[in-house]
Amino acid sequence: MSTPDFMLYAMTAILLYIIGLYGIAVRRNMVRTIVSLEIITASVNLNFLAFTILDKNLLPLAQYFVAISIVLGAAVASLALMIVIQAYRHYGSVDLKKLSKLRW
Amino acid sequence: MSQSWIVLQPIAILFIGSLLIPLIESFGKALKFEKIRDTFAIIIFGLSLYSLLGIYEEVQRQGQITYFLSPYEPPVGVTFTVDQFSVFMAFLFCLLGLFVSIYSVKYMEDDTGLDKYYSLLMALVAGLVGISFAGDLFNLFIFWEAMSLASYALVAFKKYRWEPIEASFKYLVMSTIGSLTALYAMSILYGLTGTLNISELAIIIPTLKTPLPQMPYLVIVAMIAGFGVTASIVPFHFWLPDAHPAAPSGISAMLSGVVIKAGVYAIARILFTIFNPIAFDFGTTLVLFGIITLSVANFMALLQRDIKRLLAFSSIVNIGYIIFGFGIGAYALNVYGIGGYSIATLAIMGAIFHIFNHAIGKGLLFLGAGCFIHEARTRDLLDLEGAGKKMPWTGTSFSLGLLTLAGVPPLSGFWSKLFIILAGYTKPDNTFMVITTSLVVLNAIFAAAYYLWLMQRLMLRTPKPKVEKAHEVPILMVLPVFTLGLITVILGLWPFEIIGFAEVATRSLLGLIGG
Repeated sequence: MSTPDFMLYAMTAILLYIIGLYGIAVRRNMVRTIVSLEIITASVNLNFLAFTILDKNLLPLAQYFVAISIVLGAAVASLALMIVIQAYRHYGSVDLKKLSKLRW
Repeated sequence: MSQSWIVLQPIAILFIGSLLIPLIESFGKALKFEKIRDTFAIIIFGLSLYSLLGIYEEVQRQGQITYFLSPYEPPVGVTFTVDQFSVFMAFLFCLLGLFVSIYSVKYMEDDTGLDKYYSLLMALVAGLVGISFAGDLFNLFIFWEAMSLASYALVAFKKYRWEPIEASFKYLVMSTIGSLTALYAMSILYGLTGTLNISELAIIIPTLKTPLPQMPYLVIVAMIAGFGVTASIVPFHFWLPDAHPAAPSGISAMLSGVVIKAGVYAIARILFTIFNPIAFDFGTTLVLFGIITLSVANFMALLQRDIKRLLAFSSIVNIGYIIFGFGIGAYALNVYGIGGYSIATLAIMGAIFHIFNHAIGKGLLFLGAGCFIHEARTRDLLDLEGAGKKMPWTGTSFSLGLLTLAGVPPLSGFWSKLFIILAGYTKPDNTFMVITTSLVVLNAIFAAAYYLWLMQRLMLRTPKPKVEKAHEVPILMVLPVFTLGLITVILGLWPFEIIGFAEVATRSLLGLIGG
């Protein structure tokens, strides 16, 4: 594995990050917003691993970081889904447009 | 080395307390004494404050305590590094936690699920203490997420109403993007240096050869933007004016008093310790962010009719002062090199002191606003007019809080603003510093005007029908509010001890730059 491979992985990470941000900005469905957040988490995890291509010594710690980061991402997602369930009970919908009583 | 495990004490006490609360709750149900969980929470916060005293003495003796989970020595393993700045912040977090838990005994009485409330509150403070003690960035991130998760859940605590749900979702989405952006910056930093240990990074970064010379600035910008979401720097502040009013008043006090300070702490710790401000120019960015934050939030605060929303915008204003203080310090170091060290010390000391004053003052204001809301059942300022006349103790303490944030001498808020502004005016020939500081002064006068206007409304007008039947709240609610008011007066008249503490905190933050 070499520098072009590293560029491939790093660029994919950046692309995923942008896709996630786009999803949050454009999509009006609460569940899709959470999926977009998970895409950003995946992008960060991929970026940690991308650097290990250049230097094998980085690998053990990077794996540890990614494992913990996945756990934290799952925790955030489950809390977010709990809020979605509550929102559905209030509004009967998961459309963010319905949740516009507060000014953004 | 033998004593260094004590840094785990407050974090362990709070996390264990957080886990034990549901058990204590069922005990209380069996014994028909439900208040046992409140008592337990207060005891836990008291214990954590007591253990901080031990750490403070140890830090004073050694200057810095480093603890790592064996067998992995730093820079590989999980490290805790505690210096005066960390202890300063941790002390503030636990102190406000104690006041809020005392306040919640009566304020949250009518709510159900209080074991979860206290459990989350303790997890929140444990996360905050962990952030201030963390010795490597990933460790900081883990505690950051623990803190964030607890605060998302606490904002949505009154889940039977629509407002907290909406505010919490917005807070969760924005704050998670922020923390992931910071984690992205950490991943780049890790890729470039091979470590995330803060003291190790501080040694590696100055001599680092990066493929592109702009790489460190990318990290700096991502860190400011990422942690700036929680610190609610404009333009990343949109979650705050919704989340703070939606939460129960005690939690508003926690969020506004200390959670946003954790963002400031993370920015200050990472930028000043890892990136030497003499070599990297991030001061200008921080100064400009500070000015924008001040101006926008001051303007928005004027338009509010909801008392908690107004206070939330006032929190953003104060974050502006703090960021400006740190910015002026970094700018002076960058422009004048080591010659700017005295300006930097003054500015950063002012900023750290203002963190303390704002935590105390805004904690007081949100708890006081909670007292008004508890009696009048409304958050509308027009309906709350004259409430202070009916509730003299709360009203007086609330006015003290407004005056200290307005920067009226001799209250403590005056001193911190004075230091920040003095530091900005030390070099009269530097146009950038003079102009930005003048803008800060203008904003401070403007802010003082609406604080006094709010005080006049609450204290001097004839009471409106909704507050006609209001009377003083129970002693357990007045006590924290009044004590916080007393602290601002005492520290205003005798600020030397706390200024000394802020100064050693500043020196430990600027430690590697030396002077």
